[in-house]
This record gives sequence, structure tokens and C-alpha cells, in this order.
Amino acid sequence: MSNLDHGKFTRVTTLFHSLLGLDVFLLFFTGYAIMFNDELWWMLTLMGGASGVTAIHRITGIGLVALVVFWITLQVISSTGRSNFAKILPAKDDVDAFIQDIQFVLGRVDERHPSARQFAGYKADEVPLLSYIGKGVVFIFSIELTLLAISGLLIWSKTGLAAMFQTKAAAMAFVTFHGLLGVIMLMGVMFHIFEHGMHPAFYPVETKAFIPRSMVPEHHGDDDEEPDTTGIERLSLSPSWRTVSTVFGAMTVIGIVSVLIGSIFDEGYPVPREIAIGGGPSSILLTVGINLGMVVLGVGLVLSMYGNVLRIRWEQQLEQEREPTTAADGGEPQTDGGQPESDDTEN
Amino acid sequence: MSTGNEVMHDGVMSTGEDARIFPDVEACIDCGGCVVSCKRTWDVPRDEQRISIATMLEGQEAASGLNASSGRAMEQSESPGETAVPMQCYHCSNAPCVSVCPTDSLISKENGFVRVRDDLCIGCQYCLSACPFGAPQFPDEDEGVANLVGSGGNMDKCTMCEERQDVGKGPACAEECATDAILVGTPEQISDELDNRDSGTFFNDVAMDIIFGEDASEFQ
Ligand code: SF4
Ligand code: SF4
Repeated sequence: MSNLDHGKFTRVTTLFHSLLGLDVFLLFFTGYAIMFNDELWWMLTLMGGASGVTAIHRITGIGLVALVVFWITLQVISSTGRSNFAKILPAKDDVDAFIQDIQFVLGRVDERHPSARQFAGYKADEVPLLSYIGKGVVFIFSIELTLLAISGLLIWSKTGLAAMFQTKAAAMAFVTFHGLLGVIMLMGVMFHIFEHGMHPAFYPVETKAFIPRSMVPEHHGDDDEEPDTTGIERLSLSPSWRTVSTVFGAMTVIGIVSVLIGSIFDEGYPVPREIAIGGGPSSILLTVGINLGMVVLGVGLVLSMYGNVLRIRWEQQLEQEREPTTAADGGEPQTDGGQPESDDTEN
Repeated sequence: MSTGNEVMHDGVMSTGEDARIFPDVEACIDCGGCVVSCKRTWDVPRDEQRISIATMLEGQEAASGLNASSGRAMEQSESPGETAVPMQCYHCSNAPCVSVCPTDSLISKENGFVRVRDDLCIGCQYCLSACPFGAPQFPDEDEGVANLVGSGGNMDKCTMCEERQDVGKGPACAEECATDAILVGTPEQISDELDNRDSGTFFNDVAMDIIFGEDASEFQ
């Protein structure tokens, strides 16, 4: 297998990724319109003002809970789910790769650990399909989403929460926690969008999360022979990549920094005023920065839709190619060992 | 009763900018006059109130010698016995509600009033969690979108009768309190008045810091 790092996910996973993305984007847009209502006043207005925004936030919140429950159930009841879960559990190799990567960055070792060498033109027998970074993303996002859902449900009714814990401090702690987690998650998502949208080989969107594994041929080429290379040398860098990725990278960094600063300075919430360094009104720079951050999210949303468009095109193309011949190329992949669609993991 | 003072009631010592509102729990007889006057003045709906009288330790006697001095009892960490505390928005200097409101719907105005801007409130009820005095109310909880998505509706609370104070009148509750249990004035005036009456402050240091900020030292 060529391992150009696409086609790792099953059809259910790719669908789930899109639905989750859509839901989380809606939660971000509404949550941030509430939190940075000064800077994102236009967003608040677009989404039906103060009460409209909370309504959408709460409804999509329920959507998130439903998706999370569905996913956990699927992992538990399906054998594919269980084996996939086993595959993303951190192993010794991941720890080694992580340590070696730190040494690599510090200049202490000459090369990266094989388990960290994704995207670098290696074949599947040389490097694993999932690096520790991929596993980390899955775990970090899963934990964050679960905690966001739980804390969100808990603060849904302040009277309910206060009755449960008998203290206002507990209620405020959950509010603060939910807000801070939202900020951290947003930074992660922005980076996720940059990482997978601006990858030099797959720019403008890495399709592996949209095109299911079952539809991706095992390798590129006409014959059934296992090729010598991954085919990465046949890819050419898109002429606009350098400019676009620089601009987008700058926007991502400015967005992340602004959201972070904004959440500290923006009158207390989610960082309570007692902890806040400054407090007081937000500046024009912050407004621009936070809006840039939202643009990054917007691009993420568009890319996510574009990914789905690519999948539909891909499906049509496969359909057409299948018609005249029944050649193996482009057909259903032959799975070895009778374990179809087992690499149900995310990167 | 009046000592040449233009102001109508003894409890109201000055109005407008920097005026604060604070209870003298020793004087409160739990008659409900303030509740009625507030409702009548602002047409507060039947099941709502912007000021309420919290009765603590109902039917209990205070530690010996302190029965008529709840404030002193609290200062000495003794049981104050049955005490009626008029609870409303005290328009805190360090208002925690303003600090947590995610939409800046709650603002501390220059003149010291804490105001809710209805059009910005999303009914998240964070202020309810933050306010130590139970001031925020949510009368529209079961209406429209609020009912559908389970948010709180617009927040409502005591305004300290800003409009009345603008024309030199005291807050309705303070004006109508038969025993002058609700004091209105600068922190200094309130503290002097409490001293004259030999009443304590009843609230603990944390609460006093929230309500009066730096001026809390007036009450030492
Ligand atoms: S914290 Fe409570 S009492 Fe203080 S200003 Fe806010 S609502 Fe009023
Ligand atoms: S309920 Fe309204 S006033 Fe209270 S914190 Fe939420 S938005 Fe602010």
C-alpha cells in the first residue's frame, strides 16, 4: 500500500467527521458571538440577536451530545469500532517517537523516529498509518468535546446546578471551565484546519477525512504490481500554495493569539475579573484579530464542504471508470485477511 | 421628623451619583412595605419581586445579650437569632454579575448604578450564579424562545429607582419603609447612620468588599 496518507477512514467515520465538524462549527460561531459580542457584533446580528444565538447554541449542543453518544455506542457495539479503538491507544513506539521528536527539534538526533514520519513519502510497511500526533489529536479532541458537553449541560440551568452543588462557586467554576475549554478547543481546531488545509502535497484540502478508505485504491498505477514508491514524487506543488499558506498561517496565528488575549481582557468571562490582567474595553487590533480567527474557522467550514464535494466527484469518476471495464483499478479494494475497513482512525 | 433636610425620609440621606443602598437589619420589621412599594412603582408582576425580605434563623434567639443586635452578633461570630434582611441589588462597586455577564448586558455606570441592558441579555443566568445576594430575577423564564431552549429570559433586578433619583427622590422602597430600615446615601453617610443607631453591618467582609469596594473601610 502506498500510504500517501489518505483513505484511512471508513464511510461512517468520514460522514461522522463532517457532521461533527458542522455541529462544532455552529457551536463555535454561536459561543464566540456570545463571548466576543463586541468584536463579533455582526455575527450576533446575523444569527438572530441575543436570544437567537443562545437558541442555536443549545440546540447544536444537544446535537453534539447525540453525536458523541452515537460514536461511543458504535465503538462499543461494532467489532470494527473495538479494533480501531485498540489501534489508537498510545503504544511504546508513540512515546519513543514523541521523545525522539523533541530531541530532533533540539538538534540532539539526526532524524525523526519512523513512527513520526508520516507524510514524508514512506510506504506503509516502513511507517505506521497513524503517528502519535494523529492519536493525540483524536484523544485531545474527544476529551475536550466530552468535557465541553458535560460542563455545557451542567451550566444549562444555573438554578439546577446550584441546587445540585449548593454553591454559587461551583456554578461559576463550571461556567469558567466551559469558557476556557472553548478557547483552548478553538485554538486546536484552527490549527487542525491549517494543518490539513495547507499541507503542501494535498493543498487545498486533504481528502482522507472525506473519501472513505473503501473507495481509495491501494496504490496508483495500472498494474497490480506493488509499486516501488509511494507516488509522492509525481505530485507537484500548487503554484499558489506558498502565498496562500503564508497568509493563512499568519491569520491562524493572529486569530489564536487574539482569541487568547481577548478572552483574558474581555471583561472577565471566561477568565473572571479577579484573575484577568487588564479588563476594560477591547481594542481595534483585538477586534481585527478575533475576526481573523473567525475567518480561519469560516475557511475550515468551506474546506469541509469542499471535501465532501470532492468525495462526490470522486464517486462519479469511479462510477464512470467502472462502466467500460471491471479492472481492479478503481474498483473495491481487495482486503487482505478478510478484515475490511479496519483502519477507522483519525489523524 | 425632618431636620430641615429636603429629602423625604430619614433613611434617604442623599440621592443620585455615588448614592448607595444598604439595609439596617436592626430596623427591619419584616412588614413587606418595601416589596409593595417597589411593585406598585414599577408594575412588577404578581409572582415577581425585585426586593425581598429574607428571614434568617426564624424563631431562634440570638446569643445572650445580642438579641437586638444581629449586626454586632455577626461581627462577633455569634448567632444573630431571627433577623430580617431586605435583599435587593446593592449596586456593588465590585459587581461580580458585571464581571461574568458574557454579553456585557450588565454594566457598572459611572454614577454607581448597575444597569441591565435588556436588548443584550441572552438569559444565560450567569449573573444569578455570580450575585451573592440573589438579586437577578428571571420573570420571562417560561416565555417564547426562553421556554423552548430553557434559557432564563431577560434578567430583571432592582434599579435603585435611578429615574426617581434623577429627580431627587429616593428609591420607592426606602421612601416607604416605615422604620427607615433601608438606607440610601454615600458610603460615609450610611456608615455614620449605622453608627448613630448602634447597628452593625450584618454582612461579612467579603460581601462588604463586593458592595462598597474601597469604601468598605468606612464601615470598620
Ligand atoms: S452582584 Fe447582585 S447585588 Fe451586586 S450589583 Fe450585581 S445584581 Fe446587584
Ligand atoms: S442573564 Fe443576562 S444579564 Fe445575566 S449574565 Fe446572562 S446575559 Fe448577563
